[in-house]
This record gives sequence, C-alpha cells and structure tokens, in this order.
Amino acid sequence: MRALEKFWHALDERFDLAPLVEFATHKEVPRHRHSWAYYFGGLTLFFFLVQITTGILLLLYYRPTSEAAFESVQFIVTRVPFGWLVRSVHSWSANLMILSAFAHMFSVYFMGSYAKPRELTWWSGFALLALAMGFGFSGYLLPWNELAFFATRIGTDMMSKVPFAGAWLLKFLRGGEEVTGATLTRFFGFHVAVLPMITAALLSLHLALIQRQGMHVPESLEKEAKARKPIRFVPNFMLREGAVWLLGLAALAALAAFFPWELGIKADPFASAPAGIHPEWYFLFMFETLKLIPAHVLGIEGELLGLGVFGLGGLVWFLVPVLDRGSRTGHRTRAFLVLGWFLLAYIVSFTLASLAGVFK
Amino acid sequence: MTDRILTATVVLSLAAVAAFAAPPTSAVGTPGKHAEDSCVGCHSKLEDSRLRAPAEAANSDVHHTQGVSCAGCHSGDPTSDDPAVAMDPKRGFVAKFTHKAIPEMCGSCHSNAAFMLRYSPNIPTDQLAQYRTSKHGQALATGDTNVAVCTSCHGAHGILPPADARSPVYPTRIVETCGHCHGNAALMSRYGIKGNEISEYKRSVHYAALVTKNDLSAPTCKSCHGAHGAMPPGISSVSNVCGTCHLSQRERFDQSPHKDAFAALQQPACESCHSNHAILHPQDSWIGMDDKQVCGSCHSTGDAGATAAARIASALGKASSADVTTLARVQRVERAGMLMDEASVKLEEAHQAFVMAQLEIHTTSVGRVEAQTKTVLGALAAADKLAAASETEIRYRRSGLFISLAVIALAMVLLILKIRAMER
Repeated sequence: MRALEKFWHALDERFDLAPLVEFATHKEVPRHRHSWAYYFGGLTLFFFLVQITTGILLLLYYRPTSEAAFESVQFIVTRVPFGWLVRSVHSWSANLMILSAFAHMFSVYFMGSYAKPRELTWWSGFALLALAMGFGFSGYLLPWNELAFFATRIGTDMMSKVPFAGAWLLKFLRGGEEVTGATLTRFFGFHVAVLPMITAALLSLHLALIQRQGMHVPESLEKEAKARKPIRFVPNFMLREGAVWLLGLAALAALAAFFPWELGIKADPFASAPAGIHPEWYFLFMFETLKLIPAHVLGIEGELLGLGVFGLGGLVWFLVPVLDRGSRTGHRTRAFLVLGWFLLAYIVSFTLASLAGVFK
Repeated sequence: MTDRILTATVVLSLAAVAAFAAPPTSAVGTPGKHAEDSCVGCHSKLEDSRLRAPAEAANSDVHHTQGVSCAGCHSGDPTSDDPAVAMDPKRGFVAKFTHKAIPEMCGSCHSNAAFMLRYSPNIPTDQLAQYRTSKHGQALATGDTNVAVCTSCHGAHGILPPADARSPVYPTRIVETCGHCHGNAALMSRYGIKGNEISEYKRSVHYAALVTKNDLSAPTCKSCHGAHGAMPPGISSVSNVCGTCHLSQRERFDQSPHKDAFAALQQPACESCHSNHAILHPQDSWIGMDDKQVCGSCHSTGDAGATAAARIASALGKASSADVTTLARVQRVERAGMLMDEASVKLEEAHQAFVMAQLEIHTTSVGRVEAQTKTVLGALAAADKLAAASETEIRYRRSGLFISLAVIALAMVLLILKIRAMER
C-alpha cells in the first residue's frame, strides 16, 4: 500500500495530477427520469473498444488481397482457436456500435443537448457517426465474399453520381475503374489505419468536451434534476456504466454463439450479381429510397437527386445547433422536434420494411 | 458417224449436268455481298402479299446475303427490268417448284463441293445424298408428296443459317419443326407412326435440358434420327445412337450379359428400360420385379437376374438412405454456423461414387455396384464423423457461453448490489 502511495506521489509530483482527481471526484451526473439516455454514449464507446481489441486479433491472421482475404477469414473461423468467436464478436459489435451510436444521437437530439454551448460536441459526434458508417462500409468488403463484393460495387457506383468529383471519387475509392483487389487493399488501409486515426482524435475531443462541459439537462427536466440528488461520477456512475457494459458484453456473447456471422461464398468478379444484393442494415433506408426514386425527376437523374437530398438532409442535421435558434436560449423550436421524430420514423420504418422484404 | 453422235451426246450431257449443277452465273454475285436483282425491286412493290412476301424475306435470306439472287433457284434473267424477259420460261424461269423437284434443285448447289467451297471450306455437301437414303427421300421417290423436303424444315424464302437462333432447324426450334408433321397423328397413321413422339419427347430429360437449361448439346430429333438422312434407328443400332453421348453406359452395357441376350431376343438395348422418346430421369426404384419396375419384363422371380436386381437395389437403397441422413446432419450443423467444407468434400465424393454405382448398374454386376456403394458409405461415414465433431464443438461453445453469461450476470448483480449499498 505504501509503495502504491509512493508511486502516486511520484507521479503527482511530476505531472500535477491532483487537480484531475479533484475534478473526477467532484464530477456529478444529473439524475432525472431520462438519465438512462446518458448511458448510450458510453455503450457506444464500449463496443468501439471491443472493435479495437477484436480487430487487432483478426489482424494477426487476415491477409488483405483478393486471392487470400476470403481464405484467411475462413482460416480464422475454422482453424484459429476461438477465431470464430473473435470474428463473430467483431461483426456483431460493429453493428451494435452503430445501433448504439444512433440511439445516442437521437437521445441527444431529443433532449436538445446539441444547443449552445455544446455545438462542437454535436459536430464531433456527427463526424464520429459518419466515421463509424465508414468503418462499416470499408469493413464489409474485407471478407471478400459475394454479397460484400457486389454491395461495394453498387455503393461505390453511387459515388460516381456526385457532381464534378464523381468520376474521381469512384476511382479513388476503387483504386481503378472496377472493384478489384486494389479496392480491397485500399479499403483495408482505410479500415485499419486512416479511419481509426481520425476516430481516435475526434473521440478524444468528443470525450474531453463532455468532461469539460458536463451532462446537459433538458429545460423540461431542470426542476426534477435540481430536486434530486445527482449521481457522483466516480465511482457511482462509473459502476452503473460498468453494469451497462456487462449487459452489452452479454448480448455480444449470446449473439456470437447463437447467430455466428456467416462468411458466405467467395466473391467472383466475373460472375453476375446474385439476387438480393443489399448493403449493411444502417444503409438500407438510403438504399431503398434511392431505388424508389424514378430514373428521372424533372429532367434530373433520380439517383443524383436522391443523393442531393440526402446530402442536404445531412447538412441540415449537422447544422441543427445553428439553425435551431431557439435552442440557444433553452427554448427549442418545435419544428426541429418534429423533424427529429420524422427522421427517426423514416429511418426505422424503411429499415424494418427493407429487412422484412417489403421492397422486393 | 456413230462415234460422232456418241461424242456429241456425252458432251451435251456433261454440259447439261454442269448447267444444272450450279446456278446461272448472272444469279451468283460475290460471296458476302448482298445480291442485287430486279426481282426484289419489283416484287416488293406488288400488292399481292403472296408475291410480295418472298421479296420481303430476301433481306434476311442466307442466299441473298451471300450474293445468290432469286434466279439462283428460279432462273430467268435477274438483270432485266422487263418482267416478260426476267421471268421468261425460255430462260429457264420456274415460278413454283413441284414438291419432288425441290431436293434436286437445292442439291444442284449444295451437292457441288467446288461451288460450296466459295462460302465455307467445311460446309457439308452430302445433304442430298443423305436425303435420298432417308425415309423422307425414299417415300418421295415413290411419288409420296406428303413427306418433308428441304423447304419443309428450312423454309422456302428467308432461309437462315442453322446456327441462327431464329432458324426452324436451330436446336431449340427443331422439335416444333419436326412436330409440324410428326405431331399430326392422322397424317402419321398413314405411315404406321403413332404421332405422339413429339409429346413423349417433351416429357423427357433431353427436352428439359434443352428448354430449361438452354443446353444446346441436348439431343433433339435429329441427334438420334439424323437430319437429312432421317431414319428410325434399327433395334441393333439403338445402343450406338445413345452411346454416342452416353459412352460410359454403353461401354458397361456391352460388357454385360444383357447385350447378347437382348440381341437374341431382337430387343432394343437402351430403349427396353429407358423408353425411346419419353426418356425420363432414371430412378433407382426402377430396379426390381414389381409391375412398375423394369426387370420383371424379362426376368422371373427367383432367377439369377431377379436375385442380382434385388441385391443391386438393396445396395443402392442403403447408400441413398445414408446419403439423405448424412446430408441432413451436415446441413443442420452448417445452419448452426459451422463451416463444413471438409464434410462437403466428403459428400461430393459420396455423390460421385453414387453416380458411378448407378453407372455400374448397366454391367448388371452386383460386385461392381457394391464396390461403389461401399465407397459411398465410406465417404458418408467420414462426413458424418465431421458433422458429429462439429456438433460437439457447438455444444462446447454453447456451454462456454452459458458459463460466460453466468459470470457476467453475477458480476452485474454484484455491481448493482455495490451501487445500492453505496447510494443507501
């Protein structure tokens, strides 16, 4: 015990850590009937940490070439001890991370937590969700199976519709005209180097801002929050968060064991696209909407129009802290609340309808 | 004087043959270049659709596209715009050929190897010779004008190359073409033919391969009966016809005691068990002595053949039943998320050996069939063992999961208790 205290003093003497400890021990989390929403961010972080851990383990065996990628994943799930578990957990955790991130984003939105002074937190969170989807898109191709190959071909093809930069963007993403081994190597680079680096930086900023500014309490819950005793961050909230993480871990273990992530069949670039090609579930609402838009609307190409609307919608969502002027004074504009519910209903209904095969 | 008359006769005969053996020079243009003549120009403007149709079909006609004009068949003068000159019988013009004249008219070019060489170095020139030997040709020679001639199958105008998918003799269309006559039971009854051959053929595996798999190599009428020399294959040659594709079956049949026995009984080889036109997918259940099985039509219960059939059926039955059980087990394990590649290889091995066992039926050798079914059972046992190992692995994983979940649940309970204690 003395040795530990000595070690702490040595560190404190050199790095002046006492104020940090002081901050942590005095930090509090407001308590009200919607406090549960505060756990989604942490849960997303937990799944991200699982992704890093399992991703590093997969890296030990994965080979990012069109000749060896599929076989290496096959080797992982059949020959490597617990490889099936690691790969399955990596795939399931990726999906749960996106789901948790969406839940986090909408809970933050509906509580109006994006308002001043937390604009930068909202923007960094928005960018982190986009990065998570980028992780999903790039990681989807890595096993080099048939479904992923053709979904990537369709996905990257949509990029070519972007005005002016479309052709360049397509080549940049594919590493050529077609989806080939060059695309796989490139996506691997994005997945394990570029995206993690940017994510690490943004995540640090996001977490630092939250610590600095504390948890936001919606205007309607302020009275309740004041009346109730707040939760101490250390150790109470951390322990509660720990319980939620354990719940996430249990869900992951159950999913990985009962619904192992399928590998499918190896991609054959010369084969014709099989029926039922679709992207990951979190892109389905966009995918199905683009399919529903007619080929030409008022002389504009349907896909281009769809991408334009999505781009514009994304921009509005990003700029909500600026556009919702009332939120700066704590009085949120009703229109933005309606917009949030509409968007949530649209994403959930289109995703579920697509999974149920309504659009087939 | 006699010599002179003889010489003159020979010269004139040769000239006549030479004249008949190829179309008039004015009717033949450059190969590959569309023919130009006055016939199409005039006929395409005629109001009578019967007379206009040949001109309209000329554009796609293989002869026209290769420079052979209408006069190639009809003679006359294709360079003249005057109908009286162009269609002058004195210039050899024939408006409509008699049924009997058609094969000889087509053969005047198609049997001329030197002439046909201009269009393709490998083009066959024996169609007329074959036709003369065919049932059609023989009947035509006796004056029967109901039988097929060249135009019955290839069409008269707008003739397309046989490799053109629109041609009536293209593999996917030839059955209907033959069926124009052979599907007509009333017409066929005159020749002692049932007239149900086309409908029977359409029930066959061959037709299924042709239309559902679009397998152009699947046999059609002409594959077994011949095209120009169409004939029903004789009893002794049926196995030769089937054997051109089914080599392995034929080879085994030839080694079997059935070969001599069928020959002695004047019974067709393959057809006796497989039928002729309605060749269905063979079933293992055909082997046996019951009414719906094939062996009982020659063998009697208790004889050596019946005993062998029973043993072969039993061996195949065991292998087939084991295959169903093992396949179901492997698929069940696969659905549970296990990769069963090695088991799939074993299953494939079993399937191949099973096909070999079915092939060996043609030898009627119990030993040879059993040798293959033994391989089938061996491969299936290996696949079953792999499936069992995977099932054990699944149980191990699930047990591990339950233990992990229990540990996680315990940790959660402890945490919640700790939090409650702290916040009390």
